[in-house]
Amino acid sequence: MSKTAPSIERKRQKTGMAFITPTLLIITAILVYPILQSVVLSFGESSIDGSVPYKFVGFKHYFALLQTERFWNALTVTVIFTAISIPLELILGIGLALLLNEHFRFKGIARLAVLFPWALPTALNTLMWRWMYNTDYGVFNAVALQSGLADRPINWLGDDVLAMGAMVTVAVWKTSSFMALIILAGLQSIPRDLYEAGRMDGMSRWQEFREITLPLLKGPILVALIVRSMDALRTFELPFNLTDGGPVTATESLSLYAYKVIFDFVEFNFGAAIVVVQFLVIFAMSLIYIFTLRNKD
Amino acid sequence: MKFKSLVLSTAIALVTLPAVAEDLVLSIGSRGYGPAVERNIESWSAANPEVSIKWNKVSDVPGDTRKLYVTSMSAKSPSPDIFAIDVIWAGEFAARGWLQPLDGLLSQKTIEQFNPALLSAATLNGSVHALPLYTDGIHFFYRSDLLKKYGLEVPKTWEDVLAASKTIVEGEGNPQFNGLVSMWAKIEGLFMNWLAFTNGNGGGFFDANGEVAVNSPENIKATQFMVDLLHKHRLAPDSILNSRPDDARTLFQQGRAAFLMVQDFVHGPLSAEDSPVAGKFDFARVPYFEGNETAGSTTMGGWFLGINPNSQNKEAAAEFLTYFAGYEQQLAAAVEDSRAPTIPSVYEDKAMMSAEVLAKFGKNFDFGVVRPSATTGSNYPKVSETMQLAISSALNQRESVEDALNDAQSKIIAILEN
Repeated sequence: MSKTAPSIERKRQKTGMAFITPTLLIITAILVYPILQSVVLSFGESSIDGSVPYKFVGFKHYFALLQTERFWNALTVTVIFTAISIPLELILGIGLALLLNEHFRFKGIARLAVLFPWALPTALNTLMWRWMYNTDYGVFNAVALQSGLADRPINWLGDDVLAMGAMVTVAVWKTSSFMALIILAGLQSIPRDLYEAGRMDGMSRWQEFREITLPLLKGPILVALIVRSMDALRTFELPFNLTDGGPVTATESLSLYAYKVIFDFVEFNFGAAIVVVQFLVIFAMSLIYIFTLRNKD
Repeated sequence: MKFKSLVLSTAIALVTLPAVAEDLVLSIGSRGYGPAVERNIESWSAANPEVSIKWNKVSDVPGDTRKLYVTSMSAKSPSPDIFAIDVIWAGEFAARGWLQPLDGLLSQKTIEQFNPALLSAATLNGSVHALPLYTDGIHFFYRSDLLKKYGLEVPKTWEDVLAASKTIVEGEGNPQFNGLVSMWAKIEGLFMNWLAFTNGNGGGFFDANGEVAVNSPENIKATQFMVDLLHKHRLAPDSILNSRPDDARTLFQQGRAAFLMVQDFVHGPLSAEDSPVAGKFDFARVPYFEGNETAGSTTMGGWFLGINPNSQNKEAAAEFLTYFAGYEQQLAAAVEDSRAPTIPSVYEDKAMMSAEVLAKFGKNFDFGVVRPSATTGSNYPKVSETMQLAISSALNQRESVEDALNDAQSKIIAILEN
């Protein structure tokens, strides 16, 4: 027995390895290779078509980046966007999940309807919202003007604060339901007995929520926060389709800035440096979440 | 790097070109030259059934199309074989090796027919890299019926425009009605607008010695006029700051503005049968500031056709290019679609007598202003973006006109020194 067990174990491992190797290779090719390539590009001078041989230049692009006002603007815009939209999404998401977890008629339809904004492509959603925000023909201005709330059309996407607000609104509208979905799954895994026990001890609904629901939702909330924050920190389709980063650069996110550097100015190396910094920001944020939410246990 | 470009180009080729060798792919938008493209492909196919042409209708927003080409050309994709490029990219694309030199492919006689000034925009190291297809410019469209209603002359100067707009906007008494609409979103068109305003005040991108002079007193005054028109006089809609050419055209076409400043192509849709302003509008040269009657104010643009250096079928592409940009096709586009030819002898043709709209466009082109793309070469995209940001920043009242232009001046000098 003791002699054969390891060999069976080894055989199993071999079979297992054989099964995951193709997947690993594909993931390496399509995920790890481009990431490493971006890092390599960011430390050198080259052209994408290979006509200029690669030359290592160290931190040159990173030093240039730190001195570029527009980079700091893009970073600030991205962080502000994330910091405002994520808490709103979380609060709304929890609220929606609690609501959908109750028993009522047409619950299935309600759950489906809530998911709708999230299921549609961001680019499509954004174009739809852009029409609603349109200064001359949009529905918001039609309402504002006819109800007398405004005496001239409001330029929703042409003002720094309003444009950021418009962007956050679309993000919250679209992704609260995603937060709700993950949290709802967490809610359903909480055993009913806990609530029964709580009720016997005379807990109020609020106490139930604070003492039972919220602590047990920590895991799902952590997942939802990380996934959504990563999304928000690399937001691209939203500003690209809604405001094109405007007015001036008031809503220009890091991704949009990198895109412009790469495709408008054809500066692949400098663009790669932006992307690497963005990667580090996202990485740092994930670490912060994991440590702050885990250590409390 | 070699491996990477191979992978990229294979990928792009697989996606974009499931084609037989005899197929030629032509990339061009439909807004500027659509009817002519249809005509030319049809007549070519009738005479050359062995070579079929696939029209890849690209975006009419030049910036989007440019990004597409940057991707395809970087990856050395063999498709498209022939592609239309904005005049401002010609120098840059040639320098990057994204355009096939045409010397060996086209006869000298073919090349010599074209306007030499236009050819020079696509010439690098003495060889021509693309053929000019048509030129256009910014014009000043006005509601002739409204001018008549209020007993006003067609405005010649910006001072006239201001007075006329005030009269009409007050007279109409409709909060949804505006004086001037144009494309002041942060796009290339904004820089074109700025060049029209500043040149019309005796200023411009360069001074008389050819030095960059973005923050000259003439430019500051002209830019301040743009800001005041919007914020002080309230004669332009706030939405002008997000407007692209077609957004401005739509407002004007729906009867919500007295004046419109955009390129030639709007003439077609504005005069279409179902257009509410058909027969109620006309156009003139972009105004100038008092005392600058001879200054240029028509910012010029235009499109070229070039051949992809990685095309698998350059000979056939060259033949099609010669046909497409040739005399007969340009004449037809001039007479039927009011597209301004780039072969000077076309203007002498008898058939041109009927091209009245085009003749009027042509008069405005006499006051043409070109963008600094030839001088700044591959730096042009950065220069133009810097200008767009500065003008946008002033128009949004984020900073004073003077600060914005001073800032742009020093940034552009740094870009050009690099």
